[in-house]
Amino acid sequence: MEVAGDAWQGPDGLARRLVLDGLTALDANGTVSPALAVEWQSDSGDHRWQFRLRPGVHFHDGSPLNSSAVVMALNTACTANCPWTAVHAVGSVVIFTGDSPMPNLPALLGSDAYLIALTRTADGQTPANPIGTGAFQFTNSNNGLLTLTANENCWQGRPFLDEIVIAGNRPIRDQWLDLSVGRTDIAEVPPQELRQAQQQHLAVVVSPPVELLALEVSDTGALTNAMLRAAIAQSIDRGALFNVIFQKQGEITASLLPQSLTGYAFLFPADRDLNKANELRGGLSAPPLTLAADGDGAMQLAAQRIALNLREAGFNVQVANAHNAPRADLALRKLPLDGADPAAALETLLRSAGENVPVAGQNPTALFRAEHDFLELKTLVPLLDLPRAWAIGSRVRDVRLRANGTPDLAGASLEGTQ
Amino acid sequence: MKAMRLIWVVAALVGFAGVEAQAAQGPWEQPASELADQIAAILGPGQAHLTIRNLSTISNDEIPAIRKLLVQDLKAHGVVMAGAESANTIRVTLSESARKRMLVAEVGEGNQTQVAMVDLGPITTQNATTQERMELHKEIYLSAAALANGSTVVSDDPAMAMTETGTRAFVLRKDSVMVFARGADHGRTVEASLALDLKRPMPRDARGVLFAAADGNGFTAFTPGTECNGASSPPAETAAPPHNGWTVNCHASDDPWPITTDASGAPQLKAFYNSARDYFTGVVSPSVGVDLPPFYAAALLPRSAGSGALLIGGIDGRVQLAENGALKTVSGTRDWGSDFAVLHSGCGAGVQVIASSSGEAANDSLRAYELPALEAVPASAPLAMDGTVTALWTAPDGKSVLAVVRNAANEYKVDRVTALCN
Repeated sequence: MEVAGDAWQGPDGLARRLVLDGLTALDANGTVSPALAVEWQSDSGDHRWQFRLRPGVHFHDGSPLNSSAVVMALNTACTANCPWTAVHAVGSVVIFTGDSPMPNLPALLGSDAYLIALTRTADGQTPANPIGTGAFQFTNSNNGLLTLTANENCWQGRPFLDEIVIAGNRPIRDQWLDLSVGRTDIAEVPPQELRQAQQQHLAVVVSPPVELLALEVSDTGALTNAMLRAAIAQSIDRGALFNVIFQKQGEITASLLPQSLTGYAFLFPADRDLNKANELRGGLSAPPLTLAADGDGAMQLAAQRIALNLREAGFNVQVANAHNAPRADLALRKLPLDGADPAAALETLLRSAGENVPVAGQNPTALFRAEHDFLELKTLVPLLDLPRAWAIGSRVRDVRLRANGTPDLAGASLEGTQ
Repeated sequence: MKAMRLIWVVAALVGFAGVEAQAAQGPWEQPASELADQIAAILGPGQAHLTIRNLSTISNDEIPAIRKLLVQDLKAHGVVMAGAESANTIRVTLSESARKRMLVAEVGEGNQTQVAMVDLGPITTQNATTQERMELHKEIYLSAAALANGSTVVSDDPAMAMTETGTRAFVLRKDSVMVFARGADHGRTVEASLALDLKRPMPRDARGVLFAAADGNGFTAFTPGTECNGASSPPAETAAPPHNGWTVNCHASDDPWPITTDASGAPQLKAFYNSARDYFTGVVSPSVGVDLPPFYAAALLPRSAGSGALLIGGIDGRVQLAENGALKTVSGTRDWGSDFAVLHSGCGAGVQVIASSSGEAANDSLRAYELPALEAVPASAPLAMDGTVTALWTAPDGKSVLAVVRNAANEYKVDRVTALCN
């Protein structure tokens, strides 16, 4: 398998999901299901949750999964801005307590951020390589190639594949070339390349929208004034991003959650209104702004297009690579749209954007208000909902996509192998 | 006493009238009333201009009825309809997400807009108009509590296979077989829970088959790479819980698994299972006269003149029929899940295939199909199940199907599905 980003590190890091499990998991439909925890319950108005661990699970090094190991793993995975205030172990139960209610904790614990990795081996050492309980165990990482081997004693049953080698940081065209000559079995297809992949007759699996392309707007420094942030939100031509940069893949949106999840996304107008932007900006002029975007070509092009839109609205904007501009005024980001539960999906998304905002309730009106009130701050401007896609080689069978749009290789197999 | 009887009669009549009135209500009365309540709470008494648009799969033919109800209900709250010149606007949108439909009202007062919403519930799959020869019914055969065997901890240990005899029921779990005895009240109690000494690790999506001796005193279980035989000829030391006289012996085996049985329960057709995967290789014994592709499920379908045809659900998603030495694709099976079972209902053609489908609903449904030629024709309306159907088995008498269902809490239960002829 080949990927354009890092095979291990987030936000994509799909090898992590093969090696590590969470207390819960999101199934392909985005519904929370048991994983390392078999049941959970809350009390005190969702201020306290207890998760009972699955018995008989072992880490790849043979050490048993217990509540102390889970607590240490969670404290390592989350050092700040955690959904909980404290987590501790009691017997086979892991207990979370929070100063605020945690209505979506089971769903949050199914996200990549809170996967359980062994932090101390039996002899008290920090493991040299990641050790988890997943379907595959980490074998080695050399020259950009990550090798994972089947976990014979996985609690979910042995995976069908014996070994997976993931080559990271591979340009898309090289991935496709390798796929065409049988040097790889799975290659990435960015949304903007989907049409091209179909023209090349690649067998492509496409997820529903699983990422929100959004513009983060700093509410400090040059953009402290909310009117300026509102003017920026009104200035962006989403249609151009959709039609030109992302080749009509995904959906234009001005809401945080997609219509398919809430049914009310149409309430957020997505049209550009330059007159309104000028009116909001009034006579105010902001100093030169920096717009940062992650490395891939489409993100840089999208950032350039947004900068052009903003210049037309009277802003002076320079585009920079995200690595070079960690404190930019504006940042173009992709945020996850995981899960079937709108409240949990909204909280996960906001946490990814660095916001600690508990979202409660299943009432659509209350959820709309929560989303509306957050968007009124104009610190996050939703632009497009994007799918993820993968080109699959002819000998690969049963590749299904997870709720986050990445392939679940633990359930895949190769034709003609035992 | 007479007065008391009169009160009862009046109460009954009033109750009956209430039921009648509810039955006469259309599907929009309740949601329209709820939305009107919310709109009136925002606007207060006055005039407003109402528009309605449809962004959902609800038929546009419904809009006049919805409008009429909304106008009536709003009027009852003192909100009367006005022309487009009104400063107050109500824009109602029929909308939907992937799972449910809703009514959304944008209520404008000058520059201010507020939103009201009413949930219309989950999207249900439209029933195709078919010749419904039968109606499917379900009853709980083994409850989640029975399968949990007294444990209060939710166990997502799958129920991989099950079978029954006149006196006992057997359930194959991931590494055990549960034996249920039939009580005097037809309830079932756990007689024994027997650990299986598996000879190789279970692969993902583990499967197995289970056959019981006709007298209920023995069983054979096949799991990937292992065959286990259980018997209830009790040596004295095992005649107590948890084994209650049962013994189990397992040995490594790559022998083919029985996939169909005759009326006496004896294996008819065996198939080799790919122990490193979750499907049958396609090699069956005795041969059916044609090479079969790898498949997940198979069922023997009686055909005219006493012949039989083997229906297989291939790993490529195609359902095919092996008959007269030829393999032909069956159409009309796009909605089928990977498992199906044959039901000898006696309705219509006498035999139907019961297949699961998830459609767009959260829970699976079961539906009966007939295969007069190479097309699966629905023979019943879908029967909604209480979760995901993970396995389907024809009961030994052929007249019912046993469905293993996993609910949202990840608990397993077994339902018996039977048919009533129309």
